[in-house]
Amino acid sequence: MQFLRELWLRLRWLAGRSRFHSELADEMQFHIERRAEELEEGGVSHVEAIARASREFGSRLKVAEDTSGAWQFRWLEEIFSDLCYAGRAFRRNPGFALTAIFCLALGIGANTTIFSITSSFLFSQPSCRDSASMIAIWEGGNSGSSVSDYRFLRDAHIFNGLAGIDVEREVNWRDGDRTSRFYAGMVTDDFFTTLECPFLLGRGIAPGETTTAVLSDRVWRGKFGEDPAILGRKLILDGRVYSIAGVLPANHRSVAGFSISPDIYIPVADDDDDVQFYARMPKGMTIPIARARLRSVFEQLDRIHPKDGWKRTNQLRVMGVTGFDVLNQEMPGQVTAFFAMLMIVVGLVLLIACTNVAGLLLARASSRSQEIAIRLSLGASRRRIVRHLLAESFLLSLLGLVAGLAIDLTCAKELNDLTLPVPLPIHLVVSPDWRLLWYSLCTVLVSALVCGLLPAVKAAGRDVNLALKRGERRIARRWNLRSVLVVGQLAVSIVLLATGFLFVHNLLRAASMNPGFDIRHTIWAYMRLVPDEYKDPDETKQMLVVRSALEQLRALPGVESAAITRRVPLNDNCVTGTRLRTDLFSTPVPVQYECNNVGPDYFRTIGIPIQRGREFNAADRKGSQPVAIVNEAFAHAVFGNTDPVGHTITTDFTDDKTKLIVGVAKDSKYFTLSEKQRLAVYEPYFAYGEPINLHFLIHTAGSPAAYVKPITDLLGRLDSTAAIETKPMSRALGVALLPSQVGAAMLGAMGILGLTLAAIGLYGVLLYSVSRRTREIGLRVALGATPSDVLRLIARHSLVLVGSGMIIGLALAFFAMQPLALFLVPGLSTLDSTAFLGVVGVLGAVALLATLPPAIRALRVDPMVALRYE
Amino acid sequence: MSDDSPQLLPGTLYLLILRILAAGPLHGYAIGRRIKQCSADVLDVEEGSLYPALNRMLLKGWLRAEWGISETNRKARFYRLTNEGQKRLAAEASEFNKLIAAIQLVMKTA
Repeated sequence: MQFLRELWLRLRWLAGRSRFHSELADEMQFHIERRAEELEEGGVSHVEAIARASREFGSRLKVAEDTSGAWQFRWLEEIFSDLCYAGRAFRRNPGFALTAIFCLALGIGANTTIFSITSSFLFSQPSCRDSASMIAIWEGGNSGSSVSDYRFLRDAHIFNGLAGIDVEREVNWRDGDRTSRFYAGMVTDDFFTTLECPFLLGRGIAPGETTTAVLSDRVWRGKFGEDPAILGRKLILDGRVYSIAGVLPANHRSVAGFSISPDIYIPVADDDDDVQFYARMPKGMTIPIARARLRSVFEQLDRIHPKDGWKRTNQLRVMGVTGFDVLNQEMPGQVTAFFAMLMIVVGLVLLIACTNVAGLLLARASSRSQEIAIRLSLGASRRRIVRHLLAESFLLSLLGLVAGLAIDLTCAKELNDLTLPVPLPIHLVVSPDWRLLWYSLCTVLVSALVCGLLPAVKAAGRDVNLALKRGERRIARRWNLRSVLVVGQLAVSIVLLATGFLFVHNLLRAASMNPGFDIRHTIWAYMRLVPDEYKDPDETKQMLVVRSALEQLRALPGVESAAITRRVPLNDNCVTGTRLRTDLFSTPVPVQYECNNVGPDYFRTIGIPIQRGREFNAADRKGSQPVAIVNEAFAHAVFGNTDPVGHTITTDFTDDKTKLIVGVAKDSKYFTLSEKQRLAVYEPYFAYGEPINLHFLIHTAGSPAAYVKPITDLLGRLDSTAAIETKPMSRALGVALLPSQVGAAMLGAMGILGLTLAAIGLYGVLLYSVSRRTREIGLRVALGATPSDVLRLIARHSLVLVGSGMIIGLALAFFAMQPLALFLVPGLSTLDSTAFLGVVGVLGAVALLATLPPAIRALRVDPMVALRYE
Repeated sequence: MSDDSPQLLPGTLYLLILRILAAGPLHGYAIGRRIKQCSADVLDVEEGSLYPALNRMLLKGWLRAEWGISETNRKARFYRLTNEGQKRLAAEASEFNKLIAAIQLVMKTA
C-alpha cells in the first residue's frame, strides 16, 4: 500500500515537475526574504540583509537538487524521458509514425475486437453477485429438470439458494389490439434473490410472487420507449396480467451464458415445466462437496419418485458458471474450435502488423545509424540505446492500442445492436472490461517487443567506427533483414488470404446449395397460441383453429396449397436415435434420423417430390393405422435396394407403435445447408397431440412477398390473442447460412486485413530499397541503362520477394489449413484450388500495385542529381 | 549558523518537524525558526537539510503542503500534519524517549 502510494505520488510529481521546480524556487526565495526582513529589523541595511540571508542559505541549486532528489525515481524518469524523446522523434517524422500506428491499430484493433467477442460469447461473467460461488446442476445428464424436482432440491437446503430458469420459452404480449411474441425466461420465484443481479430500475421477482415480470433493457428501450415510470405497469402475457417489477441493465448477462438473453422474465406457472438449476454454494463448499451432497439428495428422490428407465444420479453434472467451466456445458465443439481459430488468425494479423513496424524501425535505425554511433561514442551504454529504441516501439504500440481500441469500441457498438437471425434470443453484450484491459496491455507489450527488439539490438550492435565513416554509403545488400521480414509477412498473409478465400468460397457454395425444396414460392407463417385459451383436453378448439386456418388459406386467391408442420426445415430440427426393427430383419439396426410431423399436402406445398407411395392425407390421424414417410437416404440405409413402401418399422421406445411406411420422399436438407445427407422419418401431424406453436407453410403462385400481409391478417382474425409472424421462406434461411456467413465475414475480413498490411510492408521495402539505390540507379542510367532496364531492376527485386513469399506461404497454407475441413460444406476440400488460384491472383495484383510507386520513383531518378551526392 | 550547534542525531529532524507541526501548519522558514527558538538557540537546522527532509516527509504521506498567506502577507508554502503524520509522531516520540532515557541511564551509571 505504502509502495503504491509513494509510486503514485512520485508519478504525480514527475508529471508536475516543472511546477515543482518553480514552486521550490518561490519557497526558497520566500525563506531568504523572511530572513532578510528579520535581519533588517535587527538594524542591518536592506542590501546587506539580502546578501547575508542568501549567504546563510547556501547554494540554492544544491538545495533544489537535494530536494527533488527526495522525489526522484531514476528508472521511471529515464523511461519517461525515453518516451518523451521518442514522442519528439515521431513529431519530426510523422509519416513514419502514422504508418506504424496505422498498422498496429489494425493489428491490435482486430485482436481486441475478436477477443472481446470471444470472451463475451464464451467466457462472459454472468451478472450476479460472486459468480464464483454459483454452479450449474444437470440432473441425470439433462440441462433441464422438472419444477417438482426443483422444489425437492430447494427444500433439501444444501445451498444458499437454488434458482431455476428456462430460457427457451415464448409468450404472447397483447398490446392494445396487437399481439406480438417475446422470448421469455421462465424463472422460479427465488431466481433473482439467489442470483442478486443488479437492476436498472426496480427489483427482481420476489419469492411468492406469481404475476410480476422483469424486462430486459432491450425491450424497455425498444417497446416502451425507455419509459421511466414503467414499474407497476400491467402487461398481458399469454392472457394473464403481470405487473412490471424491474428492468435489467443493458450490460446484463444471463447466467445461462452464450449471450442468451430473454426479452422478459416471468415466474414459472406450471409444475410440468422444465427448468435449469443454478445454485449458490455456501461459503466453504466446493464443487466436489456439492456433487456428493447432490448425489445423496437425488438418490433419495429416485427412491421417492422413481422415473422408469432413468436415474437422476446417472451422469449428474455440477459445474461453475464462469471461465472455462462454461465450455463444459452445452457448447458444440465446432463453435469453440471456430473461436480458437479466430484467435490464431488475429494473432497472425498482429504478427504481420508488427513485422511491418519492425521493417519500418529497421529502415529508420539504419538511416539513424550515425546518430546512434555518435551517442555510443559519447558514452551511452548499448543497453541504454536498446532501451531507448524499445521505448519508441512501446510508444508506437501504445498509440496503436488507443487507435485499435477505438476500432474495437465502434465494432462492439455495432455488434451489440445486432440481432442474429436465429430462433433464440442471442444478443452479444460486448463491453470493455478488465480482461480486455489486460489482454490489450499484453498485446501492446508483445507487439512492442516483436517489432522493436530486433531493430533495437541490431542498431545498438552496429560497429561504431563503420557507422561514423558514413556507413550509409555501403552498397545495399539485396537480402537484408527487412527483405526476410517481408517474405515472412507475405507468406503469412497468403495463409490468411487462402483461409479467407476458402471461407468465402464455402459461403458461396453453401448459399447456392439446393435445400431440396422450393424456397421461392413458399411462405412460412408462425402462429403462436396462448396456452390458457386452449386448455381443453380433447384439443377440439385447437383442431378447429388449424382446420379453419388451412381451409381459409387454401381459399386465398393465388395460394396453390397450404399445410401444417411441426418443424420448419432449416430452422428447427429434432434428431432421434434408436435401435430400429423392421418386418424384414429381426435384428435391430442402430439409426439416427431427423424427425418431423407434417400435415396433409406438406410435400406438395414445400415442393419435395414423393418418389414412391403416397403423401399423408386427412385419414392419417389419431387412432388410425400408424404410418410414416421416409426419405431416400433412410430407405437406402435401412432397406437397401428393397422398396420400403408397405414394410414396417418399430423403434425401441416403449410406447411407440409399429408404423407402416406409405411413401418415400426425395432427400432434402434438414437443419443446415452444409450438412451431410441425413436420414429422415416423417409422421402425420394429426396423429399426435396439438402443440400451441402452429407453423403453416403456404405455396403461392407468384412472388410470396405480396401474400405476407393477407396471410397475417387472415390468421389474426382467427384468434386475436395469437402472435403471428409471416415471412417468405427465402428470408428464413438465417440459421442455415449463419455459420458460413460468419466464417466468410470474419476470415474474409482478416484475409483482406493481412493482405493490406503485407502490401504496405512490400511497398515500404521496395521504396526504401529504391531510395538507397538512387546512386546505383543513377550510375546505371548514366552508363546507358534504358528505362526498361531500370524497371526490370525493381521488378526483379519485387518478384524475388513476392515469389519466395508466395512459395513459402502456399506451402504453409497447405499444411496449416488441413484442420479447417471441420468447418466446410461437404464436397469442399481444404485443398481448394479456386481459393489458391484466387490468392495467387490477388496477391500478384496487390504486389503489382505496391511495386508501381517505387518503380515510378526509380524511373524519375536523375543521374546528374544522383551522382552529385558523390 | 553557529559552529558550536550540535549535530542532530539521524532521524531526529523528522521527529522535530513532526512535533513543531503538531501545533499547527507552518511554512519552511518558520519551522526552522521554531526549532531554534524552542531549543533555546541550540539547534540550528540547515536549509540544505530542511527542505529535502520536508519533501521526503511529503512523499511518505506524513505531511501535506499547500500555498497560503504568511504572517507578513506574502504567499508561502505551509506544511500540515496528516493523520498518518500524527500517528508517526506518537510512535517516534515514545521510541525517542525510550532511547534518550536509556542513553542517560548508561551515562549516569557506567
